[in-house]
Amino acid sequence: MSVTELLPTLQKLSRADKFRLMQFLVAQLAQEETDGLQPSQTYPVWSPYDAFEAADTMLKALEAQNSNDHAEC
Amino acid sequence: MTMQNAERYLFTVADSTFGAASLRPYLPITLTYQGKSITSSGLLDTGAAVNVLPHELGIELGAVWEQATTPLQLTGNLAQFEARVLIMSAVVAQFNPVQLVFAWTQASGIPLLLGQANFFLEFDVCFYRSQSAFEIRPKDSSA
Repeated sequence: MSVTELLPTLQKLSRADKFRLMQFLVAQLAQEETDGLQPSQTYPVWSPYDAFEAADTMLKALEAQNSNDHAEC
Repeated sequence: MTMQNAERYLFTVADSTFGAASLRPYLPITLTYQGKSITSSGLLDTGAAVNVLPHELGIELGAVWEQATTPLQLTGNLAQFEARVLIMSAVVAQFNPVQLVFAWTQASGIPLLLGQANFFLEFDVCFYRSQSAFEIRPKDSSA
């Protein structure tokens, strides 16, 4: 059934039923967005989000290596 | 609108069961460490503070754990694994090689992560998620 066929029927719904239908559709859309994630499963997130100390150490190590490379030239 | 002098890539389906819901920005990248090269796919991870090299990839590149002496403390799920600094050369597309510094982790079976330090310091990346594509080019050294 197409939306065009549905529309005349939907227009006959009461105001309350129109709200209920709207809530149902929004919930359906939200569910479809998250269908890839199952509530009973765990999903590892490997990103080291706030590893700023590690980032600082790594950038300094890179800087030190570049300084050594230049010194050898 | 697109970036000038950039290379364009399509997002990759990570899990065929979920199709478009599993699209991820994976970038083909060639890593070279002490003369040995491997081509792999790195996940462009703007939320990651650092680049992360999975343990098995470091071994394939001929790196020796005991010789990587600078320890790192990672966060999240990687916090439980030891990590050490490893610096190597990397080539993306036709661009010149750059030096990338990795947190080489003892964890295996994880993605090669390209994060803020220092991948995103070397490359400018534009994401067009609505087109399932991204574009990348080296940083503007004149800026």
